[in-house]
Amino acid sequence: MTSIPMGPQAALAAGVLGALSLGLMRKPPALALRALAVASVAGAMLLAVCSASDGYSSAIVLTDSKSIGWQYLIYLGALPLALWLDGEDDVLVALFLGATLGMSLLASASNLPMLFVALEFMSLPAYLLVARSRPGTRGLEAAIKYFFAGGVAGALFMLGLSLYYADTRSLAGSTDLTPLGQAGAGLMAAAALFKLGAFPLNWWLPDAYEAAAPEVSGFLSTAMKSAAVLFLMRLCELAPQAGFIAFLPAVGAVTALAGAVMALRQERLQRLFAFSSVSNAGLLILGVGAWAASGRSSEGVSALLFFLGAYAFMSNGTFAFIRYSGLETRAQLKGRGAAMPAAAAAFTILLFSLGGIPPTGGFMAKLLLLWRAVDADLYWPAAAGAVSALISLAYYLGMTRELWLEAPHGPEPKTGPGAPLVIACAVGVVLLGAAPWLMSSLSGALTR
Amino acid sequence: MNAPLTMLWLTPLAGAAVCAFLARYGALFFSMLFAGLVAGVACGQSSGGVLSVVNELGPVWAYGISYRLSADSLSIGLIALTAFLNLICVAASWELEVPAGYWACFMALASALTGVFLARDLFFFYVFWEATLIPMFFIIGLWGSSNRLHAAVKFFLFTFAGSVFMLLALLALVSAHHRITGVWTWDLAALDATTLGPVAPLVFWGLIAGFAVKIPMFPLHTWLPDAHTEAPAAGSVMLAGVMLKMGVYGLLRVALPLFPTLSFEALPILGGLAAFSTIYGALCAMAQTDLKRMIAYSSIAHLGFCLLGVLSRTSQGLTGGTLQLINHGLTTGALFLMVGFLYERAHKRGLSDFGDLATRAPYLAFFFGFSTLASIGLPGLNGFVGEFMALSGALSVLPILAFAGVLGVTLAAAYALPAFQAVFWAPAGPGSVSAKVTDLNRRERAVLWTLSLLMLWIGLAPRPWLAYFEPALRGLVR
Repeated sequence: MTSIPMGPQAALAAGVLGALSLGLMRKPPALALRALAVASVAGAMLLAVCSASDGYSSAIVLTDSKSIGWQYLIYLGALPLALWLDGEDDVLVALFLGATLGMSLLASASNLPMLFVALEFMSLPAYLLVARSRPGTRGLEAAIKYFFAGGVAGALFMLGLSLYYADTRSLAGSTDLTPLGQAGAGLMAAAALFKLGAFPLNWWLPDAYEAAAPEVSGFLSTAMKSAAVLFLMRLCELAPQAGFIAFLPAVGAVTALAGAVMALRQERLQRLFAFSSVSNAGLLILGVGAWAASGRSSEGVSALLFFLGAYAFMSNGTFAFIRYSGLETRAQLKGRGAAMPAAAAAFTILLFSLGGIPPTGGFMAKLLLLWRAVDADLYWPAAAGAVSALISLAYYLGMTRELWLEAPHGPEPKTGPGAPLVIACAVGVVLLGAAPWLMSSLSGALTR
Repeated sequence: MNAPLTMLWLTPLAGAAVCAFLARYGALFFSMLFAGLVAGVACGQSSGGVLSVVNELGPVWAYGISYRLSADSLSIGLIALTAFLNLICVAASWELEVPAGYWACFMALASALTGVFLARDLFFFYVFWEATLIPMFFIIGLWGSSNRLHAAVKFFLFTFAGSVFMLLALLALVSAHHRITGVWTWDLAALDATTLGPVAPLVFWGLIAGFAVKIPMFPLHTWLPDAHTEAPAAGSVMLAGVMLKMGVYGLLRVALPLFPTLSFEALPILGGLAAFSTIYGALCAMAQTDLKRMIAYSSIAHLGFCLLGVLSRTSQGLTGGTLQLINHGLTTGALFLMVGFLYERAHKRGLSDFGDLATRAPYLAFFFGFSTLASIGLPGLNGFVGEFMALSGALSVLPILAFAGVLGVTLAAAYALPAFQAVFWAPAGPGSVSAKVTDLNRRERAVLWTLSLLMLWIGLAPRPWLAYFEPALRGLVR
């Protein structure tokens, strides 16, 4: 296969331009817009496969195995939104593809300024996506909050980068750091933790996830989270001596616990899954910490890759169920299993998987990640991560109980589109659990 | 001998799928097929000297996880108990009006339990171990009695909490093994051959946490009374009859072989807790007014005896404790079934709700009395053999534990006999629902005859049973 440098990014950029051009028509054809979104994301994925064989690199971008692996994750997380996006809205399609392009650039960035550009490229469309995906002022309010948080993160990164540059005179990483450089690296890491929603920098996240349309929340919690994890990993690579790395396991453990505890009392489903996503982000930060502590082993990378891959199915599937079922609160879940057996059964599988019950992909994901932590002698953070999984089981089981074991009351909700996606995600999760080597051999074959 | 062991856990799983269409007929057919297969494997292996069948596939993927099954007499004994009680449960619930899912859950449960007893790769051991929770969660939550929702969630969370620590312990074990030998493996035999460094106590106590919740050992027992009381009758049978045994099996299969020294050093703590469990369970049982809850608490006491025997690591103690696992499955299973039959008829199960049942339902009175006597350890019945051997094992190691255990035996009579008297012999009180109770029908009698004859057989001729388990336990004797 011949590879095209920056091919995936080019495909996405073409998609953005195409969507905007279609928008010039008086009435943009919905079908064409949706097809364009799917084609761009699928095309990017295909081109990423093609470019996997060579290690292209320039001053600002590179194609290594991590960059390719994470691009798959990003496109995997984005594909459901491409399928279910509101095709009437050309701006929404352009914003979606623009955000995906930013993530894709982030996955390929090889120096610090490029990371910053990609970060902003990914974030700006995401704010608008949240505001625009659902009519009403709440989305707007959440988007402004999100924008503000993102602005702070961007500013922190910029400040950190200047301090770091003042110390090292390098934009592509350095090993020796004075306290000035340490402070700079720490600030840059804070920006990444902001994006991941690490406790206590997670205050913007539940509002944004709750206000956005469910499928957009799914996109943010999968593709965006994957990109942010890679962002943190690149920082660890570019500044391997940075002091912040030693704190990552503890930050991750605290975030995992805090997210799980805060999700316990949530009544609204989207808000609950937002906190659940914070908890999972905590496990991922712990995973990055373990990976960095064990000399950046390839096992650590594949554990993170597996976790994010399984999470792409779980989170997109649960948000797709929320969209399909039209249920908004836990009280409305009660007794609805019988009315929509296939989708509800798939949702239940996803819940068990999120709770880490075997034989599902979520179990394997948690196992591999915690194993990395134990292997790096991070016993306490690993135990905290395990306890967070236990706490989270209380609400995943609680929802299972409401869905199947309790009596329904109130009017039956109107179901929307998306049932096949929920079922497909559940099948994906079961496959990952029953045959976990599928993922490793697949990603092994694709990244070579 | 490659296929049969995989077939053992796949057969009930296939049965679970078929039950979705054929409901009780599918369940009956597949539980008979399953029992037949187990009998076949058991007969096939008993001719050899060392009772072991190994079933392996190469590493299925990275990190040394491999699919590895093996069955010695301990495994086969417990799988036979699973298959037998599963068949009993299907027969006992035959006339219940329940959807297909009920039967499917029982078959899925039998499959996962079989997997636990077969797996020799700790990864698969853990996966099967956790997989048992899902069907039982639905069995309690969907078909249990009034407080079932609370009990189902509590059951799941409590036992999962234990297994999380077990999983962390397993991860630490595998990592430590890799650090020492450079080999990734989850194979029990390979891990057994390596001496661990400083992480050993961490791993040991993590494993113990997982097993102790399941057994359950005081003070980790609080999930049990709720789960057993709220589960449907057949669910209680599987819970008490087989699922509690997983904890003791875990000790026998994993914790004791891997950590012979540590487990001996921990004997005063673990044995003390086990001895205390026998007394505590009996005292709690004595205070109950609900017949089913009383039996549930008595399970805590009975499992305490099993533990005392097993932890003593003497030949009598180990074989007696293991036999007691089977005994408890039979007697407590029978008792739970009869409470279920009572509940189906009268929708009550309080000790004071009945009276004078011996004249109204003589068969029920006979079987209940018989099982009660077996449960409290009357010589000539199965409970006596197991308890006696377990206690004599404990006596030779730490006599004080045996004395505590004997106190537990006495207390067992003190709660079981008055309960029997209140329900069957005492005159019916004003609020009594005894009038609603009809005697057992032919199907129910057949089920109970089977169980009772087995109790009598083990009680009168325990030697072949003990001899069957002995080779598998020989290596554990200190």
